[in-house]
Amino acid sequence: MAGHRLTTKAGTHAQSRVDAYLGELAHLLRGPRRRRARILAELRDGLDQAIADHTTDERTEDQAVESAIGRFGTPRAVADAFAGELATAYARHTIAWYIATGPLVGVWWLLLLQPHPWRTGLLALLAAIPVLPLITVAIATAAGTLATTGRLIRWLPEASPDRALTATIAVAALALVGDLTVITLYLRSAEPAQPLAILAIGASLIRIACSVVTLRHATLMRRNSTPAAPEAPDAGRHDARR
Amino acid sequence: MLPMRPELLKGHLDALLLAVLEAGPQHGYAVIEALRTSSDGALDLPTGTVYPALHRLERAGLIASDWQTVNGRRRRAYQLTPSGHVALGEQRAVWDQFSTAVTAVLGRRAWPATV
Repeated sequence: MAGHRLTTKAGTHAQSRVDAYLGELAHLLRGPRRRRARILAELRDGLDQAIADHTTDERTEDQAVESAIGRFGTPRAVADAFAGELATAYARHTIAWYIATGPLVGVWWLLLLQPHPWRTGLLALLAAIPVLPLITVAIATAAGTLATTGRLIRWLPEASPDRALTATIAVAALALVGDLTVITLYLRSAEPAQPLAILAIGASLIRIACSVVTLRHATLMRRNSTPAAPEAPDAGRHDARR
Repeated sequence: MLPMRPELLKGHLDALLLAVLEAGPQHGYAVIEALRTSSDGALDLPTGTVYPALHRLERAGLIASDWQTVNGRRRRAYQLTPSGHVALGEQRAVWDQFSTAVTAVLGRRAWPATV
């Protein structure tokens, strides 16, 4: 793996063993790419440090590598340990994306579907844009998830990764239903075609595609993050410092 | 000393990590080693337990991390934030109260039976 910086004394076999270990771990990690890269860089540094610590007069470097890797745990055990963190990071990134891009999609529909000037009030707005309750629920879900997975976890009960992913699925589904609804309503209305509609429908179609991808990813991650049967306390280690 | 089962530390790991970082910035592996050596090997935690816990503390704003380049190697060092110092003080007080209460119960020996 590129970027490996083991000690200068490290043999080729030792390096390739570390690369293989981290390569297998990289294959098992699921979540935002930058977050995975940071985790791998941090583990590589820790592993290099552990190998340096384990390399003594009595131990060959290969033995030190095996011992250090043993202390870190199997790639599967380490990947499982980071699964929750990565799932939460994915949920936060995705929900932040929906919050950031929501107005960019909504503004065109608001301009397009706004009630006639002589009809005012909330009911008129709801009649013109019937997906507003869906948007409200999506915003509340998104805000709640961001709050219970970020800095506020010091004071609020922290959302589990499973719950954060469920909220992500809910937000994506609400956005999908909302976009499909407004497009259908507009196409079935007798409104004359407007250039603004191209922007609104285009923005919604892009978000529909993103929502479908999000639903697929989040559902897969949620399925994979379902806790398995509890492991033995030392299950992560395949070398007990012999 | 025999290593403790990780599940025994449930609820106390955050305080332990904050306490280790109180001395100054450290990288993840050094934190693991500090926990192990300062407890005479009793707190020998799997890597997969410590790194995610450090990342969680950072998300909570109790510690901050900084990527440095040391001898051409990228290294992430963690340090306590002001909120982390406050949280550590609070958790120490909670631990004192908890350990006093538990010791009072567990340390009580039954009186020898009298005839």
